[in-house]
Amino acid sequence: MSEIKEPRLKRPKMSETVDNFIDNIINMKKNLHAVLGDEFHSSIPLLQVYTGHVRDLKQLSKIIVILNEKIQLKEMQHLKRARKKDVLLCPTDYVSHDVKSEDSVQKYLEEHIPELKDAFEFFKITEVPLLAPKLKRQHEEFSKIWSCNFHPNKYLEKLCGNEFFAEDELTSHRLYMGMTFEIARFYLSQMNSSLEMTDIILRDTNATVIVDPSTKSVVAVAFDNRQYHPVQHSAMLAIDNVAKTQNGGAWDTATDVKDVSLRGIEIELLVHLKEKFPNVKFGARTYLTKNALNESKMSVSGSPYLCTGYYVYLMREPCVMCSMGLVHARANRVFYCLKNNRKGALGSKTKLQCVSSLNHHFEVFTDFL
Amino acid sequence: MVDFMKRALELASEALSAQEVPVGCVFTINSEIIAESRNSVNATHNPTRHAEINCIDTVIAHCKNNHIDYKMYFKNVTVYVTVEPCIMCAAALSNLCVKEVIYGCANDRFGGKTVLDISKFYEYNYNLTGNLMANEAMALLKQFYKGTNPNAPEPKTKKEKV
Ligand SMILES: [Zn+2]
Ligand SMILES: [Zn+2]
Repeated sequence: MSEIKEPRLKRPKMSETVDNFIDNIINMKKNLHAVLGDEFHSSIPLLQVYTGHVRDLKQLSKIIVILNEKIQLKEMQHLKRARKKDVLLCPTDYVSHDVKSEDSVQKYLEEHIPELKDAFEFFKITEVPLLAPKLKRQHEEFSKIWSCNFHPNKYLEKLCGNEFFAEDELTSHRLYMGMTFEIARFYLSQMNSSLEMTDIILRDTNATVIVDPSTKSVVAVAFDNRQYHPVQHSAMLAIDNVAKTQNGGAWDTATDVKDVSLRGIEIELLVHLKEKFPNVKFGARTYLTKNALNESKMSVSGSPYLCTGYYVYLMREPCVMCSMGLVHARANRVFYCLKNNRKGALGSKTKLQCVSSLNHHFEVFTDFL
Repeated sequence: MVDFMKRALELASEALSAQEVPVGCVFTINSEIIAESRNSVNATHNPTRHAEINCIDTVIAHCKNNHIDYKMYFKNVTVYVTVEPCIMCAAALSNLCVKEVIYGCANDRFGGKTVLDISKFYEYNYNLTGNLMANEAMALLKQFYKGTNPNAPEPKTKKEKV
């Protein structure tokens, strides 16, 4: 089982009661962390280049002007052209000789930039960072190797730090995550009256809570039905439940609830959650059709559209299907508690949120435990 | 083969008439159609209601009603779909261990092979073949994107976007 590979610290104690576990999720003060692309942490990929040591430092700026014109380094705009007396000439693979050596780069200069043939005392093969630094920390690290241009980004620095969410935000994220486990408990305890934490954690199952942060209200919730229907993972069900709050929906899992805004939550569960979470609001903003929007001269943002702007809380990291479903639904942020080493698509097997060619990207947060 | 794709293309045109992204799909077992559908995203307000997911629903319901084990049933299914399945649908079809998927044109925006090759994450991989009546499938998509959004800027690349 995948759970066994989990690092010890992050594994919930199996002996814990369900109550304790949910209380901990909700009350812990530990901040969450974003699940970011590899470019933020993995070791720096390097590129092999030729550098030349200039004979006369007074000529340096002139040499750089000539080089910038004759050998443009388009994909390497983040690299400064010079570092003290060393000048970045070109990647070694620009020089098409069998043997990479000082002689071949001298010949290359004589052929292509004869005016610089005597400018350098000697040449070196050096490795420089292939990518631009995104964080201060990376900039410092990269600078040990070669001088880089760097534009600090406050948001990214914060996102990578340990204090991203303010206290009140953290409290609400933890509360909604606690709710996903409460939903699992609600359904699983109907089958098993002495439910333990292991029964929830080791089971291939999931629960989802979708929240509209603009109204601080729970729009839709869902518990897995994958045992009976292979597509009805909780995220897919929750997306359909959101559709039901917008006069849509495809699966007749719910409900003839008259209030459209509450069609995202099964009625018995709603009663239970209201009792357990007396301070939480439930229900979607009023859905308006295109015509209604036009008539009242409201902009498109006057009505909810799919999961635009919504936060999605999942007990477990979602699989590829569910993660892509959430991309299609245009969710704004996705939070998960337990890792899914075997199937997870937001950190474990892949990071769908980092596939740059997709048309929508959400932020992903975890580290509730 | 061509006949099944022709049927999928008919379903895609039907989607176009209903102002949905024109993608159509048929599921077959032993050269017989067991499910057919098209996109119904706009009608359901559910962005996951792709043709393939609709067909899966039909098969699951059929299996339930006839007390068939769907896990065994899907192993014999060949999928004909006018556009390469997106990452979500490709994952769903992998989970179900369908035998084969044959598509029309590639899906440059969401493709489960073209954009992100999901076969790397699954132990089971179905046979995947593309380019069956791709021009017809692409023509429908072009018509849709021309029709719904006359003010949209021309795509930057020459590659057609799905
Ligand atoms: Zn899933
Ligand atoms: Zn799809």
